[in-house]
Amino acid sequence: MSRPASARKRTGEKTHGALRYAILTVVSAILMAPFVFIVSISLSSDQTTKQLSFSFWPSEFHFDNFARAFTSDLPMGRFLLNSVVIVFFSCIFMTLSSAVVAYGFARLRAPGKNILFIVLLSTMMIPGEVLLIPQFIIFRNFGWIDTLLPIIVPNLFANAYNVFLMRQFISRIPKELDEAAQLDGLGQFGIFARMAMPLMKPILVAVAIFTFTFNWGYFFGPLIYINSTEKMPLALGIQLLSATSSGAQTPPWNLVMVGAMILIIPMVAVYHFGQKYLYEAGLVSGSAGLK
Amino acid sequence: MNTAAAARERAAKGPFEAAKRRRFAWLSSRLGRRETLLFYAFISPWIIGFVVFTAIPMISSAYLSLTDWDSFQTPNFVGLANYVKIFSQDPLFWPALGHTLYFAAISVPLSLLIALFLANLLAKPFRGAKFFRTVIYIPALVPLVAAAMIFRWLLAPRSGPINGFLALFGVEGPAWLLDANWIIPAVILLALWQVGAGTILLIAALQGVPPEMYEAAELDGASRTRQFWNISVPLVTPILFFNLITGMISGFQVFSQVYVLTNGTSGPDNASLMLVPYVYDNAFRYYDMGYASALAWVLFAIVMVFTAIVIRSSNAWVFYETEVRS
Repeated sequence: MSRPASARKRTGEKTHGALRYAILTVVSAILMAPFVFIVSISLSSDQTTKQLSFSFWPSEFHFDNFARAFTSDLPMGRFLLNSVVIVFFSCIFMTLSSAVVAYGFARLRAPGKNILFIVLLSTMMIPGEVLLIPQFIIFRNFGWIDTLLPIIVPNLFANAYNVFLMRQFISRIPKELDEAAQLDGLGQFGIFARMAMPLMKPILVAVAIFTFTFNWGYFFGPLIYINSTEKMPLALGIQLLSATSSGAQTPPWNLVMVGAMILIIPMVAVYHFGQKYLYEAGLVSGSAGLK
Repeated sequence: MNTAAAARERAAKGPFEAAKRRRFAWLSSRLGRRETLLFYAFISPWIIGFVVFTAIPMISSAYLSLTDWDSFQTPNFVGLANYVKIFSQDPLFWPALGHTLYFAAISVPLSLLIALFLANLLAKPFRGAKFFRTVIYIPALVPLVAAAMIFRWLLAPRSGPINGFLALFGVEGPAWLLDANWIIPAVILLALWQVGAGTILLIAALQGVPPEMYEAAELDGASRTRQFWNISVPLVTPILFFNLITGMISGFQVFSQVYVLTNGTSGPDNASLMLVPYVYDNAFRYYDMGYASALAWVLFAIVMVFTAIVIRSSNAWVFYETEVRS
């Protein structure tokens, strides 16, 4: 006699559950392994670094590497400062400019609006490489080569994707609120600044997070526009440090990996603390995992 | 019959015309003009940016691709010579295209399959689900430069942990980044490490599948595997489709990770030369701006063709619930 179906199902469920844990544990171990190795390298002594004989599991614990990355003659602190400057201004500029443009598209009526919105959406399909060379020439004519300006300034002019997201968000704010604000004597700009902006907080933070994640590790732009070491952001700077090896000198890999960790940690932190807003902005899908 | 058609036409036009008239009246009113001005004031940041950083560059890039400009002297118009050279005389274009296709053709579908498999394990609530979701997602947050730096060491031929691990099973690992045959697989491995981004999207999609569907299938005696292929997969095809398009577009635009993995070279025997790095080399190493512009347009065309193919094919395999409802 075979067992009742419900019992069979329960055992099936159990083996299935065990198998699930087994697979997920192995996958997680594989995915976390690179982090173990980066910690191990960043805690290695200079001796180990010279011989390039890093071990996978941390065997030396030179925590002073984290201080030395900033106090030695490596320009790590300078790289970090440049990254912070880029990210700070990019986030503010991008968030504000996209909000203003999105409000115009969401709430104001004017001839040509629909066509312009279609133009805006279609710019999302244009690949960056096609625009790259003329943009480089424009910035060179402005005299902006080897400054942070080519990376920061374009953020003043909004971005199609962010405008689209914000417009959708504003469209969900009831129009009655606008009318109430109008009765209170606010003009369109007042309605935008005093009523819409506070209500838009989740989407403003979401766009700031996207702008942060794009710019924090941004490599291509700085590689093209920045030549002098003291103007490089972190991503480009650590690549430079890891590439400057001469016959006699190996790159300071332990300190480079400290730089790489500084590149990683804020990304994880921003997602961890920002996902609440991604949820509120209705952009759950991008962050469902980190709760 | 003619009059009937005319009447139908008038009837169809009627509300349209009325709306037009209303619109015109509103536009010519003082309030309407003010709002129009205000609208253009609000969107002016985008308009300025669009003209300066998109429209003008696009036109000038198209023009530059027809010149021999070296970024310093006056450009000479050379017609389609750059494009002819790309397809018939350039010894590096076809390899660069081949490597890019190789990378995209393996990494994109493989990432999707792994993401789908993991998402299926993680979608339903169980103890530890949040922990595993977080662990799988974190690598996707690592900036490519940092990721590539770690992988340079993970893949070191003699001292690297990956070959060390393989040696445990008596397998002698390849020289990875130093071996022309293994450098693209190395870039693929890095892409697979960041599979969490796609996984998270698919988890959200799977959680959106109505549970009644599984219950009904269970009553009908469908096995777990059947349920996965006949319920879960069809219902998340829109997200798979989205992941496929975005994955493919970014797959064609690989740059930073290869640059860091190979230290700015194109690997042994140009084995890791890809299209965007090739555009970069021509523009900013050889200052051959005309040729680089032509390459960029060719890249654009290739991406458009592949995107169009995927979109065309989507009718056959992407399933939208609304199709059933209507």
